[in-house]
Amino acid sequence: MHIPDGFLNVATVAATYVVSTGGVSYAVKEANKKLKEKHVPLMGVLAAFIFAAQMLNFPIVGGTSGHLIGAALAAILLGPWAAVLIMSCVLIAQSLIFQDGGLLALGANIFNMGIIASFSAYFIYRLATSVLGDGKRGRLIAGFIGAWGSVVVASVACAIELALSGASPLAVVLPAMIGLHAIIGIGEALITGAALSLVLAARADLWQLQKV
Amino acid sequence: MKHAFLDRYSDRDSFIHRLDPRTKLISVFLFILAVALTSPDMWPAFAVYFIVIAALVLLSRVPVLYVLKRSLVIIPFVLLIAIFVPFFKEGEVVGSYNIWLWQVSVTHSGLQVLWNILAKAWLSILSLILLTSTTKIADLLRGLEQLHLPRVMVMILSFMYRYIFVLVDEVMRMKQARDSRNFGGRRLWQLRTIGNMTGTLFIRSYERGERVYAAMLARGFDGQSRTLHQLSFGLSDVCFGIGFGVVVIFTCIFNFLY
Repeated sequence: MHIPDGFLNVATVAATYVVSTGGVSYAVKEANKKLKEKHVPLMGVLAAFIFAAQMLNFPIVGGTSGHLIGAALAAILLGPWAAVLIMSCVLIAQSLIFQDGGLLALGANIFNMGIIASFSAYFIYRLATSVLGDGKRGRLIAGFIGAWGSVVVASVACAIELALSGASPLAVVLPAMIGLHAIIGIGEALITGAALSLVLAARADLWQLQKV
Repeated sequence: MKHAFLDRYSDRDSFIHRLDPRTKLISVFLFILAVALTSPDMWPAFAVYFIVIAALVLLSRVPVLYVLKRSLVIIPFVLLIAIFVPFFKEGEVVGSYNIWLWQVSVTHSGLQVLWNILAKAWLSILSLILLTSTTKIADLLRGLEQLHLPRVMVMILSFMYRYIFVLVDEVMRMKQARDSRNFGGRRLWQLRTIGNMTGTLFIRSYERGERVYAAMLARGFDGQSRTLHQLSFGLSDVCFGIGFGVVVIFTCIFNFLY
């Protein structure tokens, strides 16, 4: 879902940059307010974690493979604004160091996979735990749904940006992106769920981290 | 650690390697913006952009083959999004083919969209590759800090850069352990294994973060990071910046005049 440069037109680039800059600056403000300096090395290591976890490819249909985005895991464990910060750093590094996602498209990528994915995961998770209860089972199912939802919602945002830029008609790109990511999302959801259940079993205290 | 793949060739020496990272960051941004603003039928402008970037690649002494290979990362996205456009876009039909039961027609405007995306994506990716392979990551981060990326983010990025290698090694070890235990079976089972690996990796990363912070505190960390190496914005930066800026901006403006 990392959009390279050349796909988005300048109007879309400008709009997504404005929104993402606003979102990230607010995340920085929240982080400075609520987090102590202790959390900075921690978030750095966790950004590296998301990065390394994205290297674990899993097979999808027909020889293609997908990998974790990680926004849902970060948002559920650390809170949405911390997830926005971590994902933004991961995306900046991916764009500048690996050319995975473009520089002008960085605003859009941060918007989709940072802001949209983190918040949709967080809110779906909160909503689901309030329905299912805050027990172990409830949390895992909520994490599962949240992770799946975050991938699909982010892919919708990505499709809309591409269509607005005239890269592809909405009627083509929207079903294609949703279809593909509804499948990739199952992988994301299962992995997030399994990771959450392992964290619950091994270090349940990490659920009580302060959320930002 | 066997993952010295991050900023390959950035330790070579050339005129471009010696430029200030800020100059390079702003130039690349300007270049990609100019490319994005150019209308698809202005092929002379694209030729100028290509000559500029090709000359810079040659000047930088980064192997051309490496740059070309690296630029293939855009292919999956092109295949996913753009390749179908010529068949779906309405407009003047260029060619129409019968493939088994389907009547497939290619339109002029669709082909133009495809060319537009391919040319722009490729030129942009070339400039980004040039940036990474001529700038050390530590310098790049200092440049971003000078360009007012929030300090918290610069810190997160620099920690991330330090620990990527350690964690990637960790992932490789876990993968090796998994594969030596006969990894396979049903897809659901595979995903569960990867999920457990992700969870383990999270806990290990978190605990490593705590240890790192304790070690840093013990060495007098006060929230600032200091380096001996200072960035310097010199005459060559001014010359390059002005020269590059004039060529790119004029090419872009020329495109609007016609």
